[in-house]
Amino acid sequence: MDEKLAKALEASNLLDTINQQKKILQQQYDAGLIHYENGCQFTSSKELISFCQSLISLEQDQIVLIDDNGLPSLIEDLPVFTKNLVNTYATASNKYFNEYNKLKKQRSVAGIFND
Amino acid sequence: MTKGILVFAHNNAEIDYVKQAAFLAGRAKEYLNLPVSIVTDKESIGDRYKDWFDKIIINEIPTASTKKQYYNGAKTHSVLEFKNDNRCLAYELSPYDETLMLDSDYVIADDVFKNCFTSTYDFLLYKDAIDIAGNRDTGEFSTISETSVDFYWATCVFFRKTELNKRFFDLIKHIQEYYTHYRKVYNIQSTTYRNDFAFSIAIHIMNGFKQGNFAKKMPGRLFFTADRDILHSIDGDKFIFLLQCKDSLDNFSPCQIQGNSVHVMNKYTLEDNLSA
Repeated sequence: MDEKLAKALEASNLLDTINQQKKILQQQYDAGLIHYENGCQFTSSKELISFCQSLISLEQDQIVLIDDNGLPSLIEDLPVFTKNLVNTYATASNKYFNEYNKLKKQRSVAGIFND
Repeated sequence: MTKGILVFAHNNAEIDYVKQAAFLAGRAKEYLNLPVSIVTDKESIGDRYKDWFDKIIINEIPTASTKKQYYNGAKTHSVLEFKNDNRCLAYELSPYDETLMLDSDYVIADDVFKNCFTSTYDFLLYKDAIDIAGNRDTGEFSTISETSVDFYWATCVFFRKTELNKRFFDLIKHIQEYYTHYRKVYNIQSTTYRNDFAFSIAIHIMNGFKQGNFAKKMPGRLFFTADRDILHSIDGDKFIFLLQCKDSLDNFSPCQIQGNSVHVMNKYTLEDNLSA
């Protein structure tokens, strides 16, 4: 380990470093929630998933949704779109959960970076 | 439709932008499977990296270069030439119908930009970015001056060759030519020409001198570290940074990010980590 890193690690407060890493994980989670379909971006949220499920239960196959750019997009196969949305949500959430748990168990700053 | 990445790289006395671009080309192939063309000058590239690029486009810098401070951590900096005058030529220089234009100090570590090429929209860039340090005032990246318009990042830009996008890049040329005027109109304090500012002004004009949606969101999020921070290591898609602690020039806080691309503003420590 080089001198600069050793010095920084020494000076670091474990809680500060963990909090810093938590913030990054949260930002990565937000980025991971973005779902790309139909040439548009949709943030996969609990609300959007529930809305799509409601439409499916009302036997709707198609729907116009507003994407993250505020523009309308025709979703032609709503069940498939919803499934993809759930996959994106689950993948991002599971990754966040696993990384957060790894972080929570750390008892030293060096441990976080050597893991 | 041809598609690829375009990167501008003109070296100065201390920074080897071409080396950074070659590193970017290697990672672009690995993560995005896309060809990379470089716009550079003969002196910068010499006989190096011939096989790294799809096309080498020689474009000598046509106007006098500006100068800016390049920090290497919080305490050390140099004032060096900043040769960024020809970004406005991206539209005509790009050999691709669909171009992803990236800064050479953008380190690719994911495949999220593949979504640009399937996007419905023809012009994409980031308006917001995430400072990995998370505790600094990033107001300078919110608007181009305290009383002015929204700030857009020219770090990563996707465009298709459309008539509207040609007009946009022609407008950038015009803004660059009359930058002293536009700088005053948009109340920009710094005299250094910045592509971010020119793009932001041009977007404001394309939107009819108001907020609008000419520019759509790039896929993913733009993560960045400041030039006051130190890039300690890159191992595949894992970065370790030493982030300058708030209100302290001497202390750094370590931080790790994995699986996301990062805009690394400290060119010196980026170069120290290049294997190209």
